[in-house]
Amino acid sequence: MSSCQRINNNNCNSSITELVGALCDSSLTGVSWKRRALGSISREGVQRALRRRAYGALLSKLFQDSSPKPPSPLASTPPRNKMLMISFDLRVCGCPEEAERLEELLGMLKNGPASGLAELDSVLELLFQLAGSVPPPPTSF
Amino acid sequence: MASAANANINAVRETMDVLLEISRLLNTGLDMESLSICVRLCEQGINPEALSSVIKELRKASENLKTTENSTN
Repeated sequence: MSSCQRINNNNCNSSITELVGALCDSSLTGVSWKRRALGSISREGVQRALRRRAYGALLSKLFQDSSPKPPSPLASTPPRNKMLMISFDLRVCGCPEEAERLEELLGMLKNGPASGLAELDSVLELLFQLAGSVPPPPTSF
Repeated sequence: MASAANANINAVRETMDVLLEISRLLNTGLDMESLSICVRLCEQGINPEALSSVIKELRKASENLKTTENSTN
């Protein structure tokens, strides 16, 4: 059973280690292992290397946070307001429908325990941080 | 008791659907599976900024893997 399946089966009780492992596994989707197994890199080796990189990124951020640095005004902006900033940018860039939909979706999100999630603002912050990190899907004609 | 749990499951499902659509609109590259893992990590107290660095790092690593795979074909 892959760690992703374990997470889905036992979502609420997963530890950080298991979740990071599942994230690493999900990033390997689409990589062919049949040919690789014959080469020098094994799936386990790649998984280990990915975990090392994941924890490296996680810990480097942790140490950066402890160093004295003047807080940027954006850091103290609530995530919902950051989303509204993106919506404004979308309008300025000539994408009013996307901006409209984003605002509508934000309005659909319930606050606090009613959303069913304890850390909704953290998730919105994550989405803000990852916004535009992949190219938009190709438009169909 | 059971109906309260069901209501909570429905609330989570609805919120996840909305979050996934926001995620797609913003081109974050997260699918439902990775989004739900990220939600759990946020609930475990992982800093979202640090988590975004992890995701970007993992993408770079898997892109490298796919590139070497294509070059050996």
